[in-house]
Amino acid sequence: MVIGPPQPKNPVLGLRPQDEPTVVPDAALVRPMSVGDLRAVSMDLLGRPPFANELEPWIGKSRDAYVEHLLGTEAFWRHWWSEQLYYFMLIDTFRPRTDDVNEVPIKLAEGRLTVRDALHRIALTPTFDLRNPGADTFVTVVMEQYCGMVVQDAARELEIGKSAYDGNETRFLGQPAENQADVVRNCVEHKSATRHFTAREYERLTGMAPDKKDLIRWSRDLHKRPHAYVTLFAEWMRSTHYDERLVRRRPKSNRLFARALHVDLLDRLPTEDETESMRNALDGLGDPRPLRSLFARLILDSSKAPVPKKKDIPDPTLWVGAQYRRLLGREATQDELRTFVTAFHEPACRPETLLYAILSHAEYQTY
Amino acid sequence: MTHLTRRNLLRTAGAVSAGALLAPSMLGAPLFVPERKTQRVVLIAMAGGVRTRETFGMPDNVPNLVAMAKEGVLYPKLRTSNLGHFGATMSIFTGLAEARGIRENARGPDPTIFEYLRKDLGLDKGDVWVTTSGGAQQVNYSYGLHPEYGPQYGANILDGDGIFNREFEELLERWGKPKAADPEEQKILERLRRGMGKGDAVKDAEQQARVEEYILNELTRGTSDIRGAAAGDRKALRLARNLMSIFKPKMLGVVLQNADIAHSSYNGYVEVVRQNDAAIGELMAAIREDEELATTTAVFVCPEFGRDADLNARRGLDHGDGSDDLRTVGCAAWGPDFKQGATVTADHKTIDLTTTICELMGAKAKLAKGGRLSGLYS
Repeated sequence: MVIGPPQPKNPVLGLRPQDEPTVVPDAALVRPMSVGDLRAVSMDLLGRPPFANELEPWIGKSRDAYVEHLLGTEAFWRHWWSEQLYYFMLIDTFRPRTDDVNEVPIKLAEGRLTVRDALHRIALTPTFDLRNPGADTFVTVVMEQYCGMVVQDAARELEIGKSAYDGNETRFLGQPAENQADVVRNCVEHKSATRHFTAREYERLTGMAPDKKDLIRWSRDLHKRPHAYVTLFAEWMRSTHYDERLVRRRPKSNRLFARALHVDLLDRLPTEDETESMRNALDGLGDPRPLRSLFARLILDSSKAPVPKKKDIPDPTLWVGAQYRRLLGREATQDELRTFVTAFHEPACRPETLLYAILSHAEYQTY
Repeated sequence: MTHLTRRNLLRTAGAVSAGALLAPSMLGAPLFVPERKTQRVVLIAMAGGVRTRETFGMPDNVPNLVAMAKEGVLYPKLRTSNLGHFGATMSIFTGLAEARGIRENARGPDPTIFEYLRKDLGLDKGDVWVTTSGGAQQVNYSYGLHPEYGPQYGANILDGDGIFNREFEELLERWGKPKAADPEEQKILERLRRGMGKGDAVKDAEQQARVEEYILNELTRGTSDIRGAAAGDRKALRLARNLMSIFKPKMLGVVLQNADIAHSSYNGYVEVVRQNDAAIGELMAAIREDEELATTTAVFVCPEFGRDADLNARRGLDHGDGSDDLRTVGCAAWGPDFKQGATVTADHKTIDLTTTICELMGAKAKLAKGGRLSGLYS
């Protein structure tokens, strides 16, 4: 399925694109968003930059309104779900593909599942079992990945978990357990699992570790009310750490790069197969930049990207400036404009050459 | 006069501090310690968990490893740490046994052997490669996050199965081949990058272009067509063979992982061991057939840990019983400076490999905790 520009409706908040963004009384949050901030927020929440038709309605609007517009939507949860599966390394042949699993983002958006329910389902999928075969690997992984435990420091608990996995009656993490499903349940419902999830989600969003006191408060609240994840996420989006993250720029993951390149050049998301093949290949390189450049070149040279002919660009300065804003989220400097426009007028230079220079540059690898 | 290299200097300094060989009258005189012949190292981590029982305990499974050991040194009982595949393999490359999550997908805090070699010997990124078969997680072996080392000293990593597969080929076919770069356009591109870039943007781009070209060429060499048992491992070893022939790198790590099929199938596991041995044989043949490589390359092959002593309920082999089968592994070392046909039973660990290889190449694994493998040199 090829996904193009959507007409989103937020099922939780009931907002549509034409709805007036809500104004909140906080200077940083109501300040008009730059195109760079808009790109960053979109990539953080949806795992892609904005489609062309989403730019105009939102440039100059407040970040808070944009966040409120996106949070809790099915697109938001699809991205969240994809990130969780990647965290558990359920990719390639291990990616769960049953209808039940595919419906998880929909159910999350409709409020029929909580994040804890969703995480629980991951460990119950057959591919999780295949990915983590045997008692030692399985119990180690659920303890590490769900609860953030260092099993070498919890050797006794690991042995108890393995015993339960093998069908023996015991108490694992303080709760009765006598099979593999109990091992999973006890981990998922353990307080340490909520704390670990909260910490890694905060870090995923801001690129920073949370303050210890905040983490205790957030994870305690989330443990009691797992439905409140979106509210917590909104709080993080309003934090100073997130402000700092916007200034700092972060490296694009390979999956984000694959999606961003498609949206930026083709104004559509890649299909799941396209994403997986591209991500898989990029993940196969310690330094994926050569392959990222190759992908950019392939798409640009394929004639499938709607790049105008040189003769159809009446004002190269304007055009170059627009590409800087669109792809890098910032204005070009005078020097950059001069360099690019001079190059533009040379016979060997194509518009694709200019785009390739931007897309293969280190700056495009961040957002 | 022997050329004064950093390697000579370090080795001589070590000899002096040990009160060895050098007479006082010779201090300041031309260095007489013979240059080691080894100029490059291949380190193969059989990182899917492989018992010695199915390797050196069953020579028919691994004729090439046995031949290597006969021409080199066999360490039949290196001690390991059961840290999970990722952590235990990382410990081979860092010389430090530290706990890492099995599915942890992050850089470690410690420098790797690749960083030590690149920094101490001033090696270019193109001199240090790693080929893997385990996907996303394994690119983390390239470098750690230690402030004195890090990405600027990282290795090039290629995952055979991730890149050279049918799906990726189809993706490339779908988009069509990229146009050959017009020289004039290339010059413009360099100027544009310089106009945008800071630091080494142009040099970076040149290095990227070389890797890009290598990948495109490799796609025509049939690596993608490898299928069946141990296909991922065989691709990693095929890439290693091709990299050795083309780039002749100074350091080449190979990380294999398919043996972990043992959890569900003992027979499948043994087949992977056999296939890996055959592919290692091809790599060794390529090294032996190249005059330069044959006389300058050292090869180490070592699992990250073994497997349980007994079969599980699925007639497979897990790894978690703490047995000797799990905690000790057999390691073969082959190279122009090594003894031939020796077996060393002294107490050693898999983390000793980093220190040993760094010393062999003239570098120092400053933060590694492993010692040196004894009985190695002829």
